[in-house]
Amino acid sequence: MPAWVPPVATYLATGLRTTALLAAISIGASIAIGVLLGTLLTLPSRLVRAVIRAYVEIWRGLPIIIILFFIFFVLPIIGLTVETFTAAAIGLSLWGSANMAEVVRGAVQSVPRGQTEAAAALGLPWPARMRYVILPQATRRALPPLIGLVVNLTQQTSLAAVIGLLDILEAAQRSIERLTLTGGDTHAVPILGGVLVVFFVICLPLTMLSRWLERRLH
Amino acid sequence: MTSADGYRFDPGFLVDHLGELGGGLLRTVEISVIGMAGALVVGALLGAVSAFRVPVAHQLVRAYVEVFRNTPLLVQIFFLYFALPEVGLRLDAFTVGWLALLLWGGAYNVENFRAGFEAVENGYVEACRALGFSRTAAFRQVAFPLGWRIALPSVTNTQISVFKNSSFMIAISYPELTETAVNIVAVSFRVFEMFLAIGVIYLGLVWLMSWGTRAVERHYAIPGGH
Repeated sequence: MPAWVPPVATYLATGLRTTALLAAISIGASIAIGVLLGTLLTLPSRLVRAVIRAYVEIWRGLPIIIILFFIFFVLPIIGLTVETFTAAAIGLSLWGSANMAEVVRGAVQSVPRGQTEAAAALGLPWPARMRYVILPQATRRALPPLIGLVVNLTQQTSLAAVIGLLDILEAAQRSIERLTLTGGDTHAVPILGGVLVVFFVICLPLTMLSRWLERRLH
Repeated sequence: MTSADGYRFDPGFLVDHLGELGGGLLRTVEISVIGMAGALVVGALLGAVSAFRVPVAHQLVRAYVEVFRNTPLLVQIFFLYFALPEVGLRLDAFTVGWLALLLWGGAYNVENFRAGFEAVENGYVEACRALGFSRTAAFRQVAFPLGWRIALPSVTNTQISVFKNSSFMIAISYPELTETAVNIVAVSFRVFEMFLAIGVIYLGLVWLMSWGTRAVERHYAIPGGH
């Protein structure tokens, strides 16, 4: 093994831990907030729906990089200083929860109307209709796009490198710079290729699972 | 608006920098349009190859799609820009910009079109074959015109993502809209004005695109569903 490999590999592994933690937090927050907002989006109340719709349209419509910059640069102006990790976690969760809300709303609305009507005819109030009739059916339909979103969020964590978080991508870039400064070969192909492989190995099984679940629904 | 530490919103500042932002927006539109057009062509062609299982070619298409869909676009951009020169292929930021968007969006569109073509009911194609159409003619006359309409909503979603993701080119310092705004912020510290401005520009364009594509989808909707 060439001498440059072990230190670079160790450095990338540290970065990967940060990436994994960021992904775990953003995915958890996105699902929790997204499920709540997506369910509320199916409420009869116009006002509630309008407020949530604004939230969804704004965070879904903006490029994630703009959301990250916005949080990283604008929050300090109003006196909230945030670290890169926190900024990245908040930014990804805003984007992820807005997308998750759409996934949930889509799944809930894909349950045939007759189900809601039948439950209402039996005298079940809205929370009970959701809890016992709609959500169990919607969950199955939401699963393939939910896994797609998990893959997407995992990949988007790499954007945190742009605001300077030492994730796996930033670790790769710094390794390449360091090798350049020491005058030798940059080894950019194996290093960045390695980062591609890491993401590929994590994401491919999830993508395949999502596709398999989707086929099973049809 | 004045914040606790004396930050004052200054709309005049934005007016002074409209020209620069316009230049950045133009470059964003430039790489996005080339990337989106390319992603559409690549997606439709390779989507057909994939749906009709053209021997050998469809396995190659499969590999291309899986690699580009399961790795982050930003890492792809870095690979094209920083790693390829090592093997003798030096691309400038503009080329990496549209090429990365084309390859990434293309991979998603292959899947969108493949799903669309596969959703065309077999009966239609079989009816064509029974009427003496060749396989190619059945595809050109029936499967394609129906399939692309089924694929349209997911394709337009991908196209909008391609536009939004042109902002990733800030990572290779290509002066598109985001990079332009961040550069202005770096010397002026007018953070709020700048990010508000480009936020409004991106949101406005994205909403305009989704509104436009919804109109297109309605116009080309298959009567009576499919």
